[in-house]
Amino acid sequence: MSATAPEAVAGARTGLAGALVVPATIFVAIGLLGPIAILFRYSLNQFIPGQFMVDGLTIENYVKFFTDGYYLNVLVRTVRVAVICTIACLIMGFPLAYVLARMTSPRKNLLIMLVVLPLFVGNAVRAAGWMAAFGSKGALNASLIGLGLIDQPLEIMFTENAVLIGIVAVNLPFMVLTLQSVIEGIPRHVEEAAFSLGAGPMAMFRRVLWPLALPGILAGTILTFILAMNAYATPVLLGGPKFQMMGPLVYGQFAQQNNWPFGGAISFILMTATIVLTVAAHLIVQRRYR
Amino acid sequence: MARLSIEHLRKSYGDLTVVDDVAIDIADGEFLVLLGPSGCGKTTTLRMVAGFVPPSAGRITIGERDVTTLPPWKRNCGLVFQSYALFPHMTVAENVAFGLEMRKVAPADRAPRVAEALRLVQLTGFDGRYPRQLSGGQQQRVALARALAMEPDVLLLDEPLSNLDAKLRQEVRVEIRELQRKLGLTTIMVTHDQEEALTMADRLVVMEKGKVRQIGSQRELYERPADRFVAGFIGRSAFLDGESLAPGRFVSAGGLHIACAAATGQGGATLALRPERIAVGSDAAGLANRFEARVEHAAYLGALIDIHVRLSEQDQMLLQLPNRQGFAEPRPGDSITIGWAEDAGLVYALES
Ligand SMILES: Nc1ncnc2c1ncn2[C@@H]1O[C@H](COP(=O)(O)OP(=O)(O)O)[C@@H](O)[C@H]1O
Ligand SMILES: [Mg+2]
Repeated sequence: MSATAPEAVAGARTGLAGALVVPATIFVAIGLLGPIAILFRYSLNQFIPGQFMVDGLTIENYVKFFTDGYYLNVLVRTVRVAVICTIACLIMGFPLAYVLARMTSPRKNLLIMLVVLPLFVGNAVRAAGWMAAFGSKGALNASLIGLGLIDQPLEIMFTENAVLIGIVAVNLPFMVLTLQSVIEGIPRHVEEAAFSLGAGPMAMFRRVLWPLALPGILAGTILTFILAMNAYATPVLLGGPKFQMMGPLVYGQFAQQNNWPFGGAISFILMTATIVLTVAAHLIVQRRYR
Repeated sequence: MARLSIEHLRKSYGDLTVVDDVAIDIADGEFLVLLGPSGCGKTTTLRMVAGFVPPSAGRITIGERDVTTLPPWKRNCGLVFQSYALFPHMTVAENVAFGLEMRKVAPADRAPRVAEALRLVQLTGFDGRYPRQLSGGQQQRVALARALAMEPDVLLLDEPLSNLDAKLRQEVRVEIRELQRKLGLTTIMVTHDQEEALTMADRLVVMEKGKVRQIGSQRELYERPADRFVAGFIGRSAFLDGESLAPGRFVSAGGLHIACAAATGQGGATLALRPERIAVGSDAAGLANRFEARVEHAAYLGALIDIHVRLSEQDQMLLQLPNRQGFAEPRPGDSITIGWAEDAGLVYALES
């Protein structure tokens, strides 16, 4: 009798844990998987101008995307921008995350707040700020011309570089915070042990810090890559009308062209490309490091 | 292996000086222990030798090399941390080979040296395990093997045994000492554990508040402690505050006149007596100093019995009596006779 009593308690606990998982599960099912399933169904429908959407089972939307150089170009550009942004975030974010993680002074929390601060401003508002700063009549060009350093305004706005800078600025905090929490979990003594065994800073980084920080590096790069692949406000506002990326393209098909089947297909291609590239990078890194 | 010399070493953080004018010479193959209460600057001293803390002043020489400004990776100091600090993503063999790899030893030459290091710490056959698959004691040995494999000029150990349980600690003490002797390793070990220090060291350095109080062998520290701090820290002492009036004469704060060879007329001073020099009851007969004492508190500690006694209104001391066969431990309120010889005590002038 007495032996079964603890069992009952443990059983009640697991029952409670199970119950606690239910809301999140329902939310994921209804809020995320549902719309994706509906989108996928739409992407197999036909679009006939004037008739909006006609039920069907066709792959013509996908064929249209992969046979048209314009759309392929948008996909390639999106992947390129996302890859460059992710690498830039990693290269700039790692040293910052390291310094933050190893900091012991009370100013640490202040610095973390500074890193997060840009996220308090929404993407659209921030991009508007960039426009005011870097436009041909913006603050930067006005001062440079005023100083007589240049006579033609610099072309910063509405270039790929503007979009790259904008997305990196948004994604960097995510990379830094992810890396920082992982690096904090690596004891300082482990690094010192490597130094005492004759490893210089580069060798220590390559053989000890990088492999131990790898879970954080993977999490951070996946996070920033997904954010960059799906960027919307930044490419629209900083890239201008001629600079197309996948996010704005999807929106355009739904909201402006009213072509839901093709919009659905592009959404699916974007999602699949993101997942495939993420998983591939993950596998390559894992094979490289054990 | 090499000799190590530390001269006028100082470390300050702002206004706070945590290591103050430390000077130590360590002979080739010597096992030196830095001993002192927690926070006295032992770890900071060791980390300056290892190269992790830049000294505010002073010089560190290993063999003929002045290493004061060299980075840690150029010093060739084998280091064992209290937390072991093994590389969690590497196997035991990879951990031990790391120092060799960094020194560009050819892969073919690494294997036998790794095997030898693991043999020395009795971990042959554990090559392929990861640190998380080892017990605390085994991890400690891997840390030692990793430091030994690179054939360091000096071996630095920072409280290496404090994370082991009591029984294992006893064994590992002996093992580390034997290994150190066999390999002739110049070694500095840091500890706050007096017994550990006494059993392992060739020579000890007693530190307090950043300063070296005394350097010497176990016997020197115990029989001729340089000051009151050392007299209380190494072994135990019973202290009586008072005044050293003239050569051979000491008067306690409570007015007891004590014949004491060590008194030279220093003025305000403390008399320190080793517990085993204090006789009780009939054993005290015929000694130069004999007093009636009232027992205030007695604690039975097995091999020893601690007795707090009061000699006068202002004079108290702590006696430590061996628990001999048939010894009846005194009770609070009992009156006992205690005594000691004229040559028993040491006298330390009061520190300002
Ligand atoms: N980076 C630092 N900044 C300020 N004070 C420090 C620093 N490192 C150590 N200390 C202080 O120096 C003193 C000695 O520390 P430590 O050498 O670790 O002592 P021990 O190893 O003898 O216990 C301590 O009071 C500690 O608080
Ligand atoms: Mg310490």
